[in-house]
Amino acid sequence: MNYPVWQLDFFGGGFLIAAIAVFHVYLSHFAVGGGLFLVLAEMKAYRDEDNAILEYVRKHAQFFLLITMVAGGITGVGIWFTIALLNPAATSVLIHTFVFAWAAEWVFFVIEIVALFIYYYSFGKMQRKYHLIIGWIYFGAAWMSLFIINGIIDFMLTPGSWIENQNFWSGLFNPTFWPALAFRTFLALLIAGLFGFVTATWVKKEPLRITMTRFAALWLLIPFVLFIFSAYWYKVALPADIQEMLFQRMPAMTLYIDGFMWISPILVFGGLLLAIRMPQAVTKPIALMMLIIGLLYMGCFEFMREGGRKPYIIYDHMYSNSIFTRDMEKINQQGLLANAKWIKNKSITDDNRLETGRELYNVLCLSCHAVGGPMHDIQKLTAGFTPSGLDAMISGMETFHPYMPPYAGSDEERYALAYYIAYGLNGRLDQEATVAVNKKRIAMPPFDSDAATHVLLAWNTLGMHTISDTYEHWALQAPGNTIHAQLILRGETPEIVTDEVVLNYHMEPAFSNPADHVDFWDSSAILFGEELKRNTGLTGSKMQGTMTQEDGYFMADQIPVVPYTKSGYDPYPIVTIEAKSADGTLLASTKVAAPVSTEMGCYQCHGGQWRVEHKAGFTQTTARNILAVHDRMSGTQLLTKAETGEPQRCQHCHSVQPPAETPSTGQLNLSAAIHGFHSAFLKGQGAESCSRCHPSSPTGATQSLRGIHNEIGLDCTSCHGSLEEHAISLLKGEAEQGHNQASVLLEHLQQNVATATDEITPRQPWVNQPDCLNCHLEFEQPENDSTFNQWTQTTEELYRNRTDESGSLFCAACHSSPHGVYPAANGYGEQVHNIQPLQYQDNTLPIGSNLNCAVCHTVEMEDEMHHPNMLREFRNQ
Amino acid sequence: MDPTTLIPTPDAIPVHWGWFHILLLVTFTMHILLMNAMLGTVFIAAVNHFTRDGGGSPPTQAVAEKLPFTIAFAVNFGVAPLLFAQVLYGHLIYTSSILMGTFWLSIIGILIAAYYLAYVYKYKYHQLEKGRALLTGSICILLLIIAFLFSNNFTLMLHPESWARYFDKPGGLLLNLADPTIWPRYLHFMAAAVAVGGMSIALFFSYKKHTGDAEAAPWIGYGCKWFAYATFINFGIGAWFLGSLPQGIVSMNTSSGFFFLVFLIGGIIAAVFAALLALKERVMPALYSLLTTIVLMILVRDMLRTLYLQPWFSRSELTVQASYSPLLVFLLFFIGGIVLIGWMLKITFQNSDDQEAQS
Repeated sequence: MNYPVWQLDFFGGGFLIAAIAVFHVYLSHFAVGGGLFLVLAEMKAYRDEDNAILEYVRKHAQFFLLITMVAGGITGVGIWFTIALLNPAATSVLIHTFVFAWAAEWVFFVIEIVALFIYYYSFGKMQRKYHLIIGWIYFGAAWMSLFIINGIIDFMLTPGSWIENQNFWSGLFNPTFWPALAFRTFLALLIAGLFGFVTATWVKKEPLRITMTRFAALWLLIPFVLFIFSAYWYKVALPADIQEMLFQRMPAMTLYIDGFMWISPILVFGGLLLAIRMPQAVTKPIALMMLIIGLLYMGCFEFMREGGRKPYIIYDHMYSNSIFTRDMEKINQQGLLANAKWIKNKSITDDNRLETGRELYNVLCLSCHAVGGPMHDIQKLTAGFTPSGLDAMISGMETFHPYMPPYAGSDEERYALAYYIAYGLNGRLDQEATVAVNKKRIAMPPFDSDAATHVLLAWNTLGMHTISDTYEHWALQAPGNTIHAQLILRGETPEIVTDEVVLNYHMEPAFSNPADHVDFWDSSAILFGEELKRNTGLTGSKMQGTMTQEDGYFMADQIPVVPYTKSGYDPYPIVTIEAKSADGTLLASTKVAAPVSTEMGCYQCHGGQWRVEHKAGFTQTTARNILAVHDRMSGTQLLTKAETGEPQRCQHCHSVQPPAETPSTGQLNLSAAIHGFHSAFLKGQGAESCSRCHPSSPTGATQSLRGIHNEIGLDCTSCHGSLEEHAISLLKGEAEQGHNQASVLLEHLQQNVATATDEITPRQPWVNQPDCLNCHLEFEQPENDSTFNQWTQTTEELYRNRTDESGSLFCAACHSSPHGVYPAANGYGEQVHNIQPLQYQDNTLPIGSNLNCAVCHTVEMEDEMHHPNMLREFRNQ
Repeated sequence: MDPTTLIPTPDAIPVHWGWFHILLLVTFTMHILLMNAMLGTVFIAAVNHFTRDGGGSPPTQAVAEKLPFTIAFAVNFGVAPLLFAQVLYGHLIYTSSILMGTFWLSIIGILIAAYYLAYVYKYKYHQLEKGRALLTGSICILLLIIAFLFSNNFTLMLHPESWARYFDKPGGLLLNLADPTIWPRYLHFMAAAVAVGGMSIALFFSYKKHTGDAEAAPWIGYGCKWFAYATFINFGIGAWFLGSLPQGIVSMNTSSGFFFLVFLIGGIIAAVFAALLALKERVMPALYSLLTTIVLMILVRDMLRTLYLQPWFSRSELTVQASYSPLLVFLLFFIGGIVLIGWMLKITFQNSDDQEAQS
């Protein structure tokens, strides 16, 4: 932010530092341990009075000098150059804080060079005693270099009390200084043994070769025990949050942790193996192999150490992208453009959004994410996101990716950043905000108000109903749209008729072959445990049939309708219902829409696109990615299972009530899990957050929120609360059931929510829902337009199960389905949503409104027998 | 774009800036001496080999023997001044380094290559024959490239007004070539390096002569001539450099401007003496004059940097968050280090020739 960013793209993301650091760290540890190796090997030569060993030591010293002084020394300077180029702000903090530590280290560097030159070039020319002293001086200086650098490196991981007191000594002798020093010291000795193998196995004469190979093996094996102890000491000395991050919350670390664990015994084994007398042709390649394994070992450790530090470069002080923790609040308030010195565009316009996004990327992301390169390539990681999807992801990325710094900047800047990545790099755009839909014409069923003997009312139980057509991989729910109907015998005292009548239904012909459009019937046996015939629903309903007689109503249960015809997407299939007497006489007929949608915007974050007509449906790309992300985040293997013929049903684990015979999996119910997880990325929004996944957008392909409440300006949040509030209510419901995971998710949701968490009433999905009468007190005009946090107590209280005061006529019979109550309208027109009012009343109002009792009653009515306050003019005409 | 908005905010320093300034000047002096000896001797060796069709001579053999050492110490003594320069000017140097990042980082690779080639030169000197010219030429060119990149960085940091070029070229491929001083400055330093290389050869053979090497004498003159002629040429380049400075930058109204002129005049006088003394092969007096010149010219360079930075930054602007104990510990290590190195050298010279290993 303070400095320009070297725009590396392919080599971005720390590639350069990783490439140079692993080599340097390996060689620099060799430079320490190898010093002691030289001295002790020389002492052995004197002790054994063996000139051959001495000559070996001299040659090893030459090898040591060429490796450590040239490659080791210069790559050390190279690291300094590199960190200053890639993270100048952090380098500046390290330089300014520890300048005299660096300066002292330089003194030891000078001593090392002088001592090593003298040691090598005076070999055989200097008195043994003094030559050994020079060797010891070299080792002492090299170890002191390690001592100092170790303090600075571990300061970055565990700055300890330096954060408060900014004291040099607190920073240098930080909480992990001593364990890290022990760890690195023993590691240096191991590495000395590994390099010793190389020169020892190259010795031509066998006795000497074996002697020195075994000598080198001791360097590997003896310190190993101490090394393992020091590694454990180092681990336990780490603060708990770093341990949790490193060993539990960073899936990417598994590789390095496992690598470290696996390589440890390999090194011991290799050491023992080389101690065996073997031909040179065998030992030479083994020695080289061991050297490479040692490099990998070092790499594993260094990646772990760097990983434990994330999302900081200096823990609790500066994030990986050079932003000081203390500056976050200011940047979030004022924006990054106002605070970053090296950004050309100081404001965002439609013309410069892409360019500014690139500049923001440079500042915020490039330090860890290459563009098209090998290190955390942003193109691969974000391939599935549209700009708005990525915008959402970035807004909450630190919640479930705690190794990433929280986003810093304004909302507008965040979108520009997302736009650059998703569109500028990956070529992905959001769909047009407004989807073109056509009005649906319905041939109205006849009704002769004078002659008709019956009135047939029908409604769908779920006004907003979504299925995911992802059955090849997974399923939220089976296709199934349930229609209820009540047949009323008109008269002075109308009656609900259930006996000696038959109600038949048939789906609009264009929708009669859902199996042509979705893969449900190929997977139903695995997903739902039932092998179903094509176009047959879970409960046996077909696309036409006879409705079952229930307690006071008729039901067509779970008709497996999908929103597709050969012409494309239509979320409002029409079901025709005919009531006949036992002798087959037609008593009444009507039609009702069976709303079903596949408009779930998962593709915005999970790749793929709309499958049908650019407005709805899942591609397999999206379906796959959802499982892949689940696998990555939760350690499951759903994708593999799905791809090997075992598609997954979400509720199998995330059930509301686990079947009694199987013990609870301990997973959250699906509503709590889905809302609890995704709300991290859609914070601070209104109903627009709902319509990313539900078909509620007033400009979308389905426009399910089409009832009068939509018309008068209410939206999802009016009844369900904001997404966070909604999620909190569900999670609290699960927390009450003892689900620990709910508490974890709740922790992330407690900021910036309008209703305080402890004031939100816990609820269970599909049971505790908003109640109409919360607002419509005594069926009067509401005084407020919000009812979040007051729930129905049981399923019987749900709107779809409620009846009038007579206890026989369902609320929905006259008012229609939830989300679509009369008068309803959307881009598909009025007819499709108000068939029965139009059929019976020639208007779109609730049945019987405007004192129109004559729909069923053949005499004037004076009593408000269905509910109070009904005998009046309809308010919202 | 207002260049001041681009200048990063510097971090606080732990002790008064004067400490870092002194440490910078002292360690830079050591570095420039070693760097000059390294580059100058390899340049002379390359010319020597090219003019002899790869043939060797005592000075080239001496250079081959010592080159890895001089590289090691030139690099090592470059660390300290770069450290102290970063403390005082880090916000400027980091910025200019990033603007030329690709070139700047390439120094590491170039240096490793030059360093290993120096060892090849040392260990394969006798086998190489004609290849010596190519090898020393290569080493020389590599080191000259590094020097050129350093010249660019340490002048680019002085020119925030040219930094906005970054917005069109953010890939680390900028240099400071539009600066009219860049070439004369670079050549001035390189010619000085050749001169010091000549002086190093003269000194080495003086020592050889002193220790009884009868064939050393002609090479003292050889080194002295290189020193003197390179210095004479450098008067011209220096004049070019002076003439290329922006008008009005050296103002006698400022102490920096005043001292710039004083040190410059002193440095030129000392250089004249050094060159004349060298032509008379009076090596030690010439060396003292040379050291005087180098110290004065380093001060001139420092004054010039202050003058360049006047519109943008002054060392006294740096915030001090006082913490003196680390300085004391460093000074103890520093003195201890000098004593230890002195002892090691003493032991080495006392022991090196008197016996073979007693084994």
